[in-house]
Amino acid sequence: MNKKPAFYGLFLLAVCAAILFRAVRLDLRPMHHDEANQAVKFGDLLERGEYRYDPIEHHGPTLYYFSLPFAWIGSGKSFAALDEVTLRLVPALLGVGIVLLLLLLKDGFSRSAIVFSGIFVAVSPLMVFYSRFYIQETLLVFFLLGAIAASWRYHVDRTWGWAAATGLFIGLMYATKETCFIAFGALFVGLLLARIFTKESIGEKPPISHAFILLGSAFLVAFLLFSSFFQNPKGIVDSVLSFQSYFGKAGEVGFHSYPWPYYLKMLTFSRYGNGPVWSEALILVLAIVGCVAAFYPRFQKDSSPLFMRFIFFFTLLATAVYSLIPYKTPWNMLPFFIGIILLAGNGAAFLFERCKYLVLRSAVTLILCAGIFHLGIQSHAANFRYYADSRNPYVYAHTSTDFLNLVQRVEDIARYHPDRKDMLIKVITHPDEAWPLPWYLRGFTRVGYWQEAEKAGALKDIPVVISSIDKTAELSQTHQGEFFGLRPEVLLNVHIRKDLWEKFLESRR
Amino acid sequence: MIKRMFWGMLILSILVFFVWDVGIAFQDNGQEKVVLELKLPKPLFVGTPKNIRSPNLERITGKKRGPFYVPPGTEMLSLNKPVTGSDTAPVIGELEFVTDGEKSGEEGYFVELGPMVQWVQIDLEDTYSLSAILIWHYHSQARVYRDVIVQVSEDPDFITDVKTIFNNDHDNSAGLGIGKDKEYIETNDGRLIDPRGVKARYMRFFSRGNTSNEMNHYVEVEVYGTPANE
Repeated sequence: MNKKPAFYGLFLLAVCAAILFRAVRLDLRPMHHDEANQAVKFGDLLERGEYRYDPIEHHGPTLYYFSLPFAWIGSGKSFAALDEVTLRLVPALLGVGIVLLLLLLKDGFSRSAIVFSGIFVAVSPLMVFYSRFYIQETLLVFFLLGAIAASWRYHVDRTWGWAAATGLFIGLMYATKETCFIAFGALFVGLLLARIFTKESIGEKPPISHAFILLGSAFLVAFLLFSSFFQNPKGIVDSVLSFQSYFGKAGEVGFHSYPWPYYLKMLTFSRYGNGPVWSEALILVLAIVGCVAAFYPRFQKDSSPLFMRFIFFFTLLATAVYSLIPYKTPWNMLPFFIGIILLAGNGAAFLFERCKYLVLRSAVTLILCAGIFHLGIQSHAANFRYYADSRNPYVYAHTSTDFLNLVQRVEDIARYHPDRKDMLIKVITHPDEAWPLPWYLRGFTRVGYWQEAEKAGALKDIPVVISSIDKTAELSQTHQGEFFGLRPEVLLNVHIRKDLWEKFLESRR
Repeated sequence: MIKRMFWGMLILSILVFFVWDVGIAFQDNGQEKVVLELKLPKPLFVGTPKNIRSPNLERITGKKRGPFYVPPGTEMLSLNKPVTGSDTAPVIGELEFVTDGEKSGEEGYFVELGPMVQWVQIDLEDTYSLSAILIWHYHSQARVYRDVIVQVSEDPDFITDVKTIFNNDHDNSAGLGIGKDKEYIETNDGRLIDPRGVKARYMRFFSRGNTSNEMNHYVEVEVYGTPANE
């Protein structure tokens, strides 16, 4: 596999697989609560050019600014015309970009290790699922791998261009998500430990000017994005202040608090109810082999012990820190899982190259092919069958497919109202039961949101009232009530004024 | 003098009232009405909601069901009676689960039929006067099943003599007519339907997915009644 044609052929296959898994049917899954929230925040930037960094919620600005060109091409400046496919193309394409970035790891990893890593990134259910998800995580991983790759290229070539590229990726990481500091810490300590445990020379001392270039480009990109391109200079100060909020959130015992083995257990074996078994154990097992390979002195062909050990220590530290933080959501696995995948690629290459005999090599090839095929089958199931099903481990507090019936009902009723899309809609829900309604009702011009029915004014003449099921019970005299699923265990009530309901019903008789 | 003043004041008051009223009326008619602009609050973002996977969370229950009165001699008729269905190859479980007497909400006790409108049919093997029907679709999660329709008949093919005793298909999406019964949230109490003594041998239970997914489920159906000739 270290021969060039085989390498490029297989790598191209990995890229194609990554595109196919990420770019097809991006509209299939209903928008998650968090995706909808990011989309509405992006809508302000798209329509009014307004963006202000919020140090409490929403994370950094890269997702929004990277979405702009996609939206301009897809829907112009209209938020109402924007769709899920346009938004999700941003993480999807950067998800494919993660595979391409692996090419920059040449000399650090063998060609075989790069190909295997590319294949694992392309087909891993976890990587694919969140590459189709309009949140910051895939962007963070892309920039993280970009920072690793650019700094490795700098280590090899010592040019100011790679120093600037490293700074650029670091700045983009900072402007993506506040948790980047976990990765920064793991990268820094990982590098120190790799230096301690490796005799390899790091070459000539880099000029001080390159350090300034690196830091300057990192600061410049972070400043431009956080300050909304000079519109809000306070944004850069807020980006520092935000750590107080996120540090508190990470440690709090609440809804998202899980024990330390949560992530590793999910990756090894998951089964919910009568659903299928999910496992990325192949990648974990190969990653363990990759760890051994990193310290195996005779496995140094086309690869650098310093780089392999750096990846090992980075992954170990990042996995440990993310696992020890009580606050956990499945997408938070991505920044350390990319390290696990790199180690797995290294492990697969090690096994492949250590097995010199034809029988052994054939057996390893067969096992690896079967394992990769199994990962692909799971990816297909996770993204095209169980995409919003709570039996999928990566589906986390996801919007039910039935919610789309609610949206369809409101659209249907608007056709019978003289104001059409200007029809007044009042939403009276608990705070965590309002989303993703603002995204799905973006085409309606008069939608209001309240948490208490008493504060929403008179309701008996309102065409459509959407409420949590324990609110607005008195509407049964004037409205037809219907239930729709928002998430597992969470239902919403839609109240449709009876004259509109009768008109709608006429079409069904 | 006082009398004149009284009459004067009265006439003046009437005139003022008249002018005032005409003025208001003119104002209303002379200008176009404007839409009252409503200032509507934006939704509050409160972070990612809790992930719920547990099959036995707190259920949303209304008031406790009161006593239900049936004729003397009423007995359960459905236990282990033959069950057929529109989906002959259920996704999970067997059609026999519908009348096997097991009402647990856990895995392994329900039958899952495919999406769209599906039905299960119970053959009571004789004609009975029906007193009560209890249905559990799936009670380990707060859900609402759509288009729950219960029909009874003497005809196993439900072509003739079909009586509908429950129908909450309020928008006729199942195509069996608009029902006036309310949708309800599944609980371990099951849904009690009063068949009001209707006589029948066959019972057909329809549904069309639920608020969590597109599938149709039955944990158990219990039918109570007395022999028809009593």
